[in-house]
Amino acid sequence: MMTMVLKGLSALGFIAVSAMFLIWLERKVSAWIQNRLGPMMTGFQGTLQPIADTIKLLLKEDIVPKGVDFLSWWLAPFFVTVPVVMAFLVIPFSSKWIVLDLNVGVLYICSVTSLCVLGIFMAGWGSNNKYSLLGGMRSAAQIISYEVPLLLSVLLVVMQAGTLSMQGIIHAQAHGWFILKPQLALAFLIYFISATAEVNRVPFDIPEAESELVAGYHTEYSGMKFAMFFVAEYTNMFIISAIAATLFLGGWQGPWLPGVVWFLIKAYGLIFVLMWMRWTLPRVRMDQMMSFAWKVLTPIALLNLLVGGWFMLK
Amino acid sequence: MSEWVFYFISLCACIFAVLAVTQRDIFHCALWLAMTLLSVAGIYFYLDAAFLGVVQILVYVGGVITLFVFAIKLTAHIGYKSIRQTSKQWAISLFITMLLLSILFRVFAQNPWASIALEHSSTSVAQIGKSLMTGYALPFEFMSVILLAAMVGAIVIGKVKK
Repeated sequence: MMTMVLKGLSALGFIAVSAMFLIWLERKVSAWIQNRLGPMMTGFQGTLQPIADTIKLLLKEDIVPKGVDFLSWWLAPFFVTVPVVMAFLVIPFSSKWIVLDLNVGVLYICSVTSLCVLGIFMAGWGSNNKYSLLGGMRSAAQIISYEVPLLLSVLLVVMQAGTLSMQGIIHAQAHGWFILKPQLALAFLIYFISATAEVNRVPFDIPEAESELVAGYHTEYSGMKFAMFFVAEYTNMFIISAIAATLFLGGWQGPWLPGVVWFLIKAYGLIFVLMWMRWTLPRVRMDQMMSFAWKVLTPIALLNLLVGGWFMLK
Repeated sequence: MSEWVFYFISLCACIFAVLAVTQRDIFHCALWLAMTLLSVAGIYFYLDAAFLGVVQILVYVGGVITLFVFAIKLTAHIGYKSIRQTSKQWAISLFITMLLLSILFRVFAQNPWASIALEHSSTSVAQIGKSLMTGYALPFEFMSVILLAAMVGAIVIGKVKK
């Protein structure tokens, strides 16, 4: 009981530190890609900038606009943040560092992260702002659509490993990562594209397209509530990268270095790719994105599942 | 200590359920219903039925409630109104409900509840899959036919007539 509580608390601490680090990293990566310096003033290379930002957000006034739908307005930040924290229950940092190795781990992560849709929609609706509502609507439609290919690609991994437990899937990759198998390499690509859409990142960032929607569903939020959306967004990024590392890149397995280090290298490497994409690619249009999900990605994922399953039977 | 978790979650489920049927804003009702279903999922997790809890969240909260919310928001004329939750016959229905409740209470009170010690009962996903593909294959396939029919029906209804 006590160890469980301690494990949970350390997961919480990790979420806060990781989100702060990722926000700094995003600003730095964007700056380097655009030939700028990025934050430089606070600390070496601006490393203390996220701490300064956190203090600023803690001290900010919590502005409640007129005419908000109070219940959804207040509940939305929690609905977005709590699932993210819950997902950390089954993320295997190393062979021992996992809060609880549920025997339905993969399914568990997929189900709790599906709660975020509701939170985003509540934020969009509750704000009583047309940009927020548009952002919320777009986001919900996008997340629901891309969940289909995402789950189909995850299913192939489950079929290959023969288990739903996160540790079990890593153990199944002892003799070669899943990404090295041809049918699973395609599944990885499908997973990565749909996961990018799931966390509303460029090129699928139309829910918060700054140039048309201000900031989408969290336009009206300020202070700590805004910070909660921000933390949830960056932690979601970590979660999808951690799942990708677990399902396709062998998790914490690797030579010489301890498991935790390997896991974090893989996860943050994928996050770097996500950031790289964000500052390189343009944004797609709403109709392009939806037709891509339903007319291209889902059929390919289904076909991949069929062909991959056939190869596994042989 | 552990059973207090159960009582707490059950209390939450009851409160949210009452809120879900008494609130006037239909969007709020859907949200409270989501909270109720989440509490029920919590009870499943507490009872060591992780698979059931996960499916509860995935299907009910992630799927059905999201669909509800979409439907409410897309039909603009019910999203903004505050609707009465009771009809004109609420007094009669309250009487009948109370009658039913008292009967149920009497049955519960008279029934000698035998406590059966379950051996480790957390059913594995493999077992569920196996029984769906063997013993319960016909009901399972029947369900998918019903779902297909519902989907085709929805498309036909939703089709814009030219």
